[in-house]
Amino acid sequence: MSSKPLILIVDDEPDVLLTLRVILEASGFEPALAADGETALRRIDAEDPDLVLLDIMMPVLDGWFVLAELAGRSERPKVIVCSAKSADADRARAHDLGADAYVVKPWDPEELVQTIRDVLARRPHGRLRV
Amino acid sequence: MDVIPTEIRERIQYEARVAGVSDDTGISIESVERRRVQIWIVAGFLVVALCAAFAVASLNAGIAGRGWFQPGVLQLALVALAVGFCAYAFEKEVHLHRLSRLLVDERVLSSALSKRLQQHSALMAAGKALNSVLDLDEVLDVILASALDMLRADAGSVMLLEGDDALRVVAVRGSELGRNARVEIGTSIAGQVASTREPLIVNGPVDEEGFPGRRPRNDAPDSAMCVPLQHRGHLLGVLNISSSGPRVFDEYDLQLLSLFAEPVAASIAKAGLYEAEHAHVAELLEADRLRSQFVASVSHELRTPITSIRGAVAASRIASEHSQRMDLLDVMERQARRLADMVEEMLTAAKLERSESMPLLRRVDLSALVRMAALDSQVAGRPVDVAVPESCEARADPESVRRIVGNLVENAHKYGAPPVRIALQPDGDQVVLSVVDSGSGVPASEREKIFDRFYRSDTTGQKPGVGLGLPIVRGLAEACGGSVWVEDSPEGGAAFRVTLRTRAVEDQEVAGV
Repeated sequence: MSSKPLILIVDDEPDVLLTLRVILEASGFEPALAADGETALRRIDAEDPDLVLLDIMMPVLDGWFVLAELAGRSERPKVIVCSAKSADADRARAHDLGADAYVVKPWDPEELVQTIRDVLARRPHGRLRV
Repeated sequence: MDVIPTEIRERIQYEARVAGVSDDTGISIESVERRRVQIWIVAGFLVVALCAAFAVASLNAGIAGRGWFQPGVLQLALVALAVGFCAYAFEKEVHLHRLSRLLVDERVLSSALSKRLQQHSALMAAGKALNSVLDLDEVLDVILASALDMLRADAGSVMLLEGDDALRVVAVRGSELGRNARVEIGTSIAGQVASTREPLIVNGPVDEEGFPGRRPRNDAPDSAMCVPLQHRGHLLGVLNISSSGPRVFDEYDLQLLSLFAEPVAASIAKAGLYEAEHAHVAELLEADRLRSQFVASVSHELRTPITSIRGAVAASRIASEHSQRMDLLDVMERQARRLADMVEEMLTAAKLERSESMPLLRRVDLSALVRMAALDSQVAGRPVDVAVPESCEARADPESVRRIVGNLVENAHKYGAPPVRIALQPDGDQVVLSVVDSGSGVPASEREKIFDRFYRSDTTGQKPGVGLGLPIVRGLAEACGGSVWVEDSPEGGAAFRVTLRTRAVEDQEVAGV
């Protein structure tokens, strides 16, 4: 077992997955990848990540579906939504579905890593304000 | 209209005063008759009395008298008195006779005036009602209700001009005439009125020869009128009114209906303008909505590659392995190209909108171009089956053809489903390029909209894009002198067809095309 926090990166853009993987690895995290909502839920069940970086607009099952699915669970990982959608309505919807933070693309890599650390430092499984 | 009754009233008052008719309870034919009876009773009574006095005077002719009381003088005086009183009664009778005639005239005029006032007030009420509504259906309803009420008619209809040669029934009341029925101009009663623009009245059975094309009706009216509806010299349609009962229309009714037709035509024109304006506003709102959606889509589409590039730059600084850094450089290159393509697409759309930089058309081998474009798509991860002849010539711009094929294949993969096929089919002076997918096809209601700028059939925002791919295809196809449309493929799925010319337009004109 690794002591590094396991971060599941969920995004349908291969280049975003590749980039984030390098950044998170270099920042001391253990990255795992999913390119759609269905794979994400499967990997969450199998690997119990500490945090999920979740894109919204994805094929098969989108980020909203994944958030709603996780919201109904008593045990769930922390979630940071990373989306190009910047409307207040989307932020509010993510908050209502239990997201721990909302980061709008294009994100600053350093700020994103800091946000991940902040969210991980919060008490586990608590629903925190976005 | 008001002068005649006033003048008559003054004469009536004068004659009544002279004839001694009291106007305490109003001067009427009855009061004139009473006065006449009074005068003749008094006249008769006096004549009888004078005759009796004359007889008494004659019986006493032997009695000698003095002065005025001599019998001869008395008799003369009695005769003179009787004659004078008869002259007085006769003079009164002359005035009473005039008074009777004037009263009858006044009654006739009052009745006519009252009828006219009623019709005017009905016209005004109808005008007010017409002004209070803007919706065409409501306007037509008010028109028919007002016309039937004003003319005490049983049935009516409004027909509006459709094209240049026909009338279409748009509103009906009390008639078996079907809404949407069509009448050719020049035929039937309404068609003739539309042709001559003259109001028409028909009483009794209709002369079939006089109105060729008239359809026999079970509820043929006994009396009917038809007036043209014209606004600023333009014919809009006709208004029909009919009666099947004892009510028979006359020229005066026709004149009234013609008067009514003027505000009616203005209201119909106004309602038409209102509808056009309404549609225009809806179009503007839709264009505004599409623009907002475009801005949202563009910002989303731009953010995605920028995210990758910024992330890759940051990651390459901290990447520990050479191979990782090479991968990240590839990411930067791919995403920079993606951004450039997107900017290029928007510039192309803007140029096509302003009809700038029309492509230079030249003779090209469409088969070779299609094969190359298909290869590009293949490399971009969008496989496509190509079924084209060995060579197929057309007049087009090679870059435009490449983009047309590329955009259609991308669209087929995004909104349809694989496998995607491309085919070329020569057809006379043109070639039809088809891109067919295996998806569920495009609903008929969206087949034109999908070529509008910024329109996106995906309302969930799940599919990337800004709504410019197909408008660019249409713009480029038209710039090459061709066209594009979508239909259902016989095997299912959507079939996008693009026509391109095989010869220059001027060559086709020379050949008599």
